[in-house]
Amino acid sequence: MRLSDGRHNQRYRIVRLEGPDEECRRLLDLGLTPGEEMAIVQSVPLGDPLVVLVRGTRLALRRREADWIRVK
Amino acid sequence: MVPSQTATQDPESEPGALQPSTPLVPTLPTVCLVGMPNAGKTALMNALTGGSFRTANYPGVTVSLSRGKSKRSLGPEVNLIDLPGVHSGVAPSPEEELACTVIEGRNPSVCPDALILVIDATQLERHLKFAGYAARSGKPIVVALTMTDLLPRSGTSVNATRLEAALSVPVVPVDGRTGWGVDELIKALASTIERGSDPDNVLAALPDEPVAAYDAVRELLVRSGAVKQHNPLILASDSVTARIDSVVLHRYWGFPIFFTVLVGLFASIFWAAKPFMDGIEALFAGAGHVTLRILPDGAISRFIAEGVIGGVGAVAVFFPQIVILFFLMTLLEDSGYLARGAALMDRPLSVLGLHGRSFVPMLSGFACAIPAVLAARTIPNKRERLLTIWILPLMSCSARLPVYALLLAALLPGSPWKSGLALAAIYISSLLIGALTAGLISRLILRKGPPSVLAMELPTYRTPLLRPTLKMTWIRGSSYLKRAGTPIIVISAGLWLLSNFGLGSRQPRSPDNAPVPVVAATDLEHSFAGELGQGMEPVLRPMGVDWRVGVGLISAFAAREVFVSSMAIVFHVADTDEGAQAGLLQSMRLATFPNGNQLIFTPSSILGLIVFFFFSLQCLATVAVVRTETNSWKVAGLQLLFYTGIGYLLSSALVQGLRAFGVA
Repeated sequence: MRLSDGRHNQRYRIVRLEGPDEECRRLLDLGLTPGEEMAIVQSVPLGDPLVVLVRGTRLALRRREADWIRVK
Repeated sequence: MVPSQTATQDPESEPGALQPSTPLVPTLPTVCLVGMPNAGKTALMNALTGGSFRTANYPGVTVSLSRGKSKRSLGPEVNLIDLPGVHSGVAPSPEEELACTVIEGRNPSVCPDALILVIDATQLERHLKFAGYAARSGKPIVVALTMTDLLPRSGTSVNATRLEAALSVPVVPVDGRTGWGVDELIKALASTIERGSDPDNVLAALPDEPVAAYDAVRELLVRSGAVKQHNPLILASDSVTARIDSVVLHRYWGFPIFFTVLVGLFASIFWAAKPFMDGIEALFAGAGHVTLRILPDGAISRFIAEGVIGGVGAVAVFFPQIVILFFLMTLLEDSGYLARGAALMDRPLSVLGLHGRSFVPMLSGFACAIPAVLAARTIPNKRERLLTIWILPLMSCSARLPVYALLLAALLPGSPWKSGLALAAIYISSLLIGALTAGLISRLILRKGPPSVLAMELPTYRTPLLRPTLKMTWIRGSSYLKRAGTPIIVISAGLWLLSNFGLGSRQPRSPDNAPVPVVAATDLEHSFAGELGQGMEPVLRPMGVDWRVGVGLISAFAAREVFVSSMAIVFHVADTDEGAQAGLLQSMRLATFPNGNQLIFTPSSILGLIVFFFFSLQCLATVAVVRTETNSWKVAGLQLLFYTGIGYLLSSALVQGLRAFGVA
């Protein structure tokens, strides 16, 4: 499933990234690598961006970016 | 978020060269501080140099580097350069790109002998992966481990000795905000530079590919036993930050809290600065009077009193607002809230073609466009950065405030609350029209280009410390003074000369038949500025004003508020201390066109002037900063023409329209 369809406070494991190369490389560099655990901890008032937790870091991700992240 | 290293202007130097005046000592080794954003580099730079570092502009891509020398009391001295933080070497912002060129050894002018890798102990995996990228340069490396005070919050502990053994480079825990551990860092640095680089560097051997690199880092950490996780629920992370975020990013409370913070910020900028601004105004007025009394009467003493002291005063009067803005922004930034503000605003701003990070420049723009343009550097996407810079002149900067105050007092005499409401409407419209402009331009003109990525780190909340905040405020404030002050003073001195001298041959003849000088001191009407104003009169007619107001509009290009003092000069208002404003209003009310008894300041022409000031880019200092930041005269020139043209057209249309409907 896509991370953007995920529920809050549920742990997911990243399967792969599907998106434009350069942008995905940036997400990988930030620590969103396949195999890693992550969670959506919160969404900002307008529902976008999402606040996710990965490798002990809180990141604000747009829904569009969360769409690229396949999780299980 | 806010420009972490504000730049001084240096258009003369060659591309790739740094300012020649930087205080680098050639005999000492040069060390660069590198790390990811929010790693605590600037605080460490502060502690290492004792706060005495200078920022130098980097021409071409115009990002700045802070440079300084380490304090002698800490041990062997080194030259230090603080590089901008890097998220990733891929698709970097101009700030990141500069740091990458230095780290990768591609920079012709900055070639460090060693690197201090600033690493956040609470985010070891991410920061060590970055360390691998930096270590591949082959330079000798020392790791400065920061944020160790935050480890207990996430129930973690990091053993620096084990980490050092595992990485085979010195690891020194430091706190840049208190200076703790900094002397140890310098000691480790000196012996590392002596030893030279280590060919078996573990960090340098980390793979470049991110997935493999992260795996290698995790394996390294597990093997070393450097990290102890007391809390098995690692994803629970820092509970304090989680609790604060659940309030400030709350579905219903998030925006009300955000707007309360903004209102508080503006209230402080305007009200807290007021007494200081009045004091500075009085001080410079007094200095002008004293100069006129001490020096012999003549053009030179008047030039010093009115042109120079007046010009310096025009800059200094906004300094309290700028200092308060920088202070509060530094507080918000250091606490971690500013990044939340950017996250909150990302959705509405991205609809307009802007970026969450555009929020800080836009906010600063309400105080002054110059620091705002500088703050736009942190926006990675070029199109969004350009669009942000493009709309910044619309934000109602505080130099417009005295102008609006005068015009509203003339438009709505005797009802301060109506003026207050009108002023609030002007501020809100400036934001709305800025949004509209951005939306239109991004849909009609700047459609092409890759979509941007937010993926922004939300740093851990920390209580800001007063001393580092004050120091940072001082560094930013003084660099603003240098950057904005110089052009304003030069322009205002130049305009004084233009409005007090004219062609000798055009002057009224003196009775004693003295030889006619080429350039002579004269009254405003016969001065260069006066002639220019009269030449412009046909252009000004549609706006419903005469050449004297034209002179005021020209002088406002030095700084908008100069319009008020120019009005006092052109309408010959005696400079009484108490009643200057009242006297000026009275003169304006009675002012008529020279050839008749038609009033100049009617409701329609005053509204027209307000609209003109609303749109027009009457600030040559902003034009200069946009030129250096975009590295393009085209952008700066187009922006000047665009806004001043729109201001003129809308103002003329409004005046003529109102008059067609019978409004005077």
